[in-house]
Amino acid sequence: MLVTMSGVRLSYGRWPALDKIDMEIRQGEFLVISGASGAGKTTLLRLIWMGDRPDSGFVEVSGFRSDRIRNREFPQLRRKIGIVFQDFRLLHTRTVFDNVALPLQVTGTGNRIVQKRVISLLARMGLSHRRNAFPHELSGGEQQRVAIARAMVAHPVILLADEPTGNLDPEVSREVVDLLLEINRGGTTVVMATHDPRQVPAGKGRFLFLDRGVLRGADRWTELDPDS
Amino acid sequence: MDRTGSGFMSLVRSAVKEISLNLHSRPGARLITLLMVALAFIVFNTFLIISWNLQGIVDKEEDLVGMEVFLQRDISQAEGRTIGDNISSMQGVKSVYFVSSQEAEALFRAELPGRTDLLDVMGNDFRLPASLQITFETEAMSQGRISELSRQIEAVAGVEDAVYGEDYLPGLLKTVTTIRRLVVLLGIVLVSSISLVVFYTVRLSVVRRSLTVDIMRTVGAPWWFIRIPFVVEGLFMGVTGSAGGLVLVAILSKVLSSAVAQRFMPLSWMTLVILLCAVTGTVGALAGSYEKER
Ligand SMILES: Nc1ncnc2c1ncn2[C@@H]1O[C@H](COP(=O)(O)OP(=O)(O)O)[C@@H](O)[C@H]1O
Ligand SMILES: [Mg+2]
Repeated sequence: MLVTMSGVRLSYGRWPALDKIDMEIRQGEFLVISGASGAGKTTLLRLIWMGDRPDSGFVEVSGFRSDRIRNREFPQLRRKIGIVFQDFRLLHTRTVFDNVALPLQVTGTGNRIVQKRVISLLARMGLSHRRNAFPHELSGGEQQRVAIARAMVAHPVILLADEPTGNLDPEVSREVVDLLLEINRGGTTVVMATHDPRQVPAGKGRFLFLDRGVLRGADRWTELDPDS
Repeated sequence: MDRTGSGFMSLVRSAVKEISLNLHSRPGARLITLLMVALAFIVFNTFLIISWNLQGIVDKEEDLVGMEVFLQRDISQAEGRTIGDNISSMQGVKSVYFVSSQEAEALFRAELPGRTDLLDVMGNDFRLPASLQITFETEAMSQGRISELSRQIEAVAGVEDAVYGEDYLPGLLKTVTTIRRLVVLLGIVLVSSISLVVFYTVRLSVVRRSLTVDIMRTVGAPWWFIRIPFVVEGLFMGVTGSAGGLVLVAILSKVLSSAVAQRFMPLSWMTLVILLCAVTGTVGALAGSYEKER
């Protein structure tokens, strides 16, 4: 199992942001976590990359357990994880190339390999011509694709996407979801958090629903929206 | 994956690149630090200059403001010199000079050539008293010590009277002591504020880049890799800020040097201030980089 959560509870202040979370994520699946704003989606993803640790219970990701992990192991864990955010979080003083190259540079990958990998990845994502542009010169869709390239460049085993389409219009959103599905077909496990699960076609993934910090099981979104 | 062999060197190369990227951004914060530090130095140095100038005046006055010890009339020249030796062994006495009766008369005639009639009026038997001219060590130049010394000296057999510039010396000494204390106090306050300015500017400039820290963290950069650019920046800002501030003050005091007697603060103090700012800059950078972490 790639990710296991067991009896997880995490509170910010008085109320738990997440409670009684038991779940598993299998290698290679496409998991959609939906729920209203404030339901705890971002917190759940943070627990996976161990930006936070649970108050009780544990999270295990690719052999690293939240209650046993050592400080120097965090970088090792995070190199196995790619993360994409709603607001892209590109470094605005660096070019597209440098943004994408970052995960390789922080692990001491040789310059030649960095060049080769970044250039071929940008080509595959249709961003070659934007290689030397700065983030603010790009459209939202392009920025998100750069962010996805950065998340994928070091070949993570799991890609976490937190509302990746939140700042994009519907057509571009569809392209981004398609890109995530394609990445998943390539073998990478994808976890996508979204308030609008209809963005992912019903047969293409497993759907979990978060309701004020508690997981409510699969396909709940269909009940919420009888039209779809 | 190229993780073996050249891996670490590549990582170090990347770190160096990060450091230089960092140093090339945000000249504004560095300028603010520099100006704040310079301002603090200017205030501090102004007081230093005042204190040094006053000290100079005191040094001159100290030589003038000695004590004049008049000896009893029946004291012979040999006895007078013995008394002088006694007094010169007292603590705080710097020098004793014996002025014989004849010398006193010669001096009187030399200094007041128009009033030699006064001596003539006194008759042929009149002798000016022999005296001892005494100067004091700087440490003894306080009101309490000098009046104590004068009591001690007056108690010596053969001494008639001890006279010193009681009126203005103590006031002057008090002023200098007060200003010296003020300089020390001001130094402490300013050095702490300089440190705080460096600390907070560096910390702020690091916190403003918390996105970089976040991203570095999420892509799995080792902690030293994330922080080293900030630490170098803090160190650099502390050193350039304080050194630049010192240079500004030096230029300013050069410009003003025609107006007042000038002395710059000692090299050891400058070194100390620069070192201190280097440390606070580094600590500020570390504090800033930990700001958002839990
Ligand atoms: N850093 C934080 N400090 C305090 N409360 C937080 C923090 N992060 C999230 N929360 C709270 O936890 C709950 C879940 O937040 P979040 O995981 O961001 O929800 P979602 O991503 O589903 O919108 C919310 O009530 C939110 O206010
Ligand atoms: Mg969220």
